[in-house]
Parts: sequence; structure tokens; C-alpha cells
Amino acid sequence: MKTKMDFPAINDRRPEGLKEDGTPYRVLIVDDSMFVTKQIGQILTSEGFEIAGVASDGQEAIDKYKELYPNVDLVTMDITMPKMDGVTALEKIMEFDKNAKVVMISALGKQDLVKKSLLLGAKNYIVKPLDRKKVLERIVMSLKK
Amino acid sequence: MRVEYINPFVESAYNVLKEVLNCQVNRGELYLKSTSTPVLGVAALVGLAGDVEGRILFDMSKETAIKVASVMNGEELKELDDLAKATITELANMITAQAVTKLHDLGFKFDLTPPAIFTGDNMEVTTAEVEALIVPMVIPYGKVEINVAIRERL
Ligand SMILES: [Mg+2]
Repeated sequence: MKTKMDFPAINDRRPEGLKEDGTPYRVLIVDDSMFVTKQIGQILTSEGFEIAGVASDGQEAIDKYKELYPNVDLVTMDITMPKMDGVTALEKIMEFDKNAKVVMISALGKQDLVKKSLLLGAKNYIVKPLDRKKVLERIVMSLKK
Repeated sequence: MRVEYINPFVESAYNVLKEVLNCQVNRGELYLKSTSTPVLGVAALVGLAGDVEGRILFDMSKETAIKVASVMNGEELKELDDLAKATITELANMITAQAVTKLHDLGFKFDLTPPAIFTGDNMEVTTAEVEALIVPMVIPYGKVEINVAIRERL
């Protein structure tokens, strides 16, 4: 997919996806939509992030997080998913690792669930449609929190 | 209009729809429409300019667009909101990008305009002096018509 949004910026600054020691931040992407997973994955890898894993429902997200832990720096968490929703999965991940960094991915009109997620410990949220700038900004901000 | 222009779009529409919707896609019969084309309700339009010129229209009913966008996002969307529109635009982008790569490989040189999305009832698209070739792609959520009007520049 060639849109100008997906081209990494070419200059000499350190890509947003790399830590100070030059190793990539590792992200777990949770979404029941392959389209969204791919979108987020492309944006993140173009900035040097590493996709540590993907999950397509809440239960799978928890399992993957535990499996990857402690080699996972951030989770993008869809809210609406089959089997177990993202808010429940967030709650369980926070129980397991109180320092987990989770960013919620939401459609419009889910303010209540977003609010609840922030109270449960989510670091930030992104409302779809996703664009490169928005995704990177929110994720980088959450990593610094 | 030469049929060879539409084939890359039909092929890539088939591949992309199948991939992003994860469903059965059936190709309907190709047909020809004269210059004035009524639009089904939601249309994403991409323009071409260069050795060849014209436009491709990805045309579907509002209901189909909402369902397609819902499946692509893993969210049940209730209306054709900004997310749904952005998703249909992105779908048009994905299909066009794949088709254009094929056309460039065949030696055609042209640029694309970013997709524009049109919605409404009783819309018509008029393309001066070029007839449109249309291939309906049938999916479980309705049909998406690939509507191509391209000609070589004189
Ligand atoms: Mg979802």
C-alpha cells in the first residue's frame, strides 16, 4: 500500500521506535480486524518499532502478554472484539503487570468505555480513523509516561 | 475503451476484497454504460492523468459501504461516519495501488489523484466522450461495482 503517509521520514534523528540504546520498542497489537492490525503494524515498523506479537481477541491478548513479558513495552488494545473485549483484557493485563503500557484503539462514540479504560490504567487512546501522525504521537507519549 | 485497462482493476479488487473482508468474492458480468453513470450511493473516485486519462469509480450502496467498513474495522458501524468514509477511501487506495503497479509494468505511464469520496442518492457521474466499463464484484454484503472509464491521450 503506497500512500505518502506510510513513508518513513528521512533525516538523521533517531526513529521514534528505537530506545536510547538503539534497540526497538516491542509492541503487542490487539485487534480483531486484520486491516487495522496491518495499518498499525505498518506505521510502527516504518518508525523502527518491533511488532512483538498480534492478538485478535481479549483472551489471546492476555495470553500473549504473559508469554512475551517482560519483553514487551506497549500494547495497542482494540475495544470492540469477540470473546473478550479490550476493556476486560486491559483490566486483566494491569492486574498481571501494574506497569503495563496500554493504548486503547476506539471507534467514535465510545467515550464511556475510553474513560473507563483510562481509570483502569490505560495510558492513552486513539480514535479511528487511524493516521500515522496520531498513532505515533500517542504511542510515543505513552512510552514516556 | 480497451478492455485491457479494466482487467488489472478487477483482478486487484478481487484480491484486496478477499483479503480484507476474508469472504467469498464473485465476479459478475462485465457491461458497458454510456457516458452518464448513476451512482449506487457511495462512490470512491480515483483520477488518472498521463499516457492514459480517465477515472476509476468504486461504487456501492450505502448499506454495503457501512457493512464493508464495519468488517474492515472490526467495529459495528451504524452510519456512514468519518471512520466508514476513511475506510472506503483506504479500500479504494489499496485496490488502485495494486492495479496501477500492474499497469505501470505493462508500460503505461500516468499519475493518480488521491481518492475522493461521494455520497448521496440519485447521483450521476458524467465522463465526457468515454464510455465506462463496469464489473460488479459480488460479496456477502452486496456488490461493489468497479467502474472504469479510461482512454489514451490524443
Ligand atoms: Mg474491533
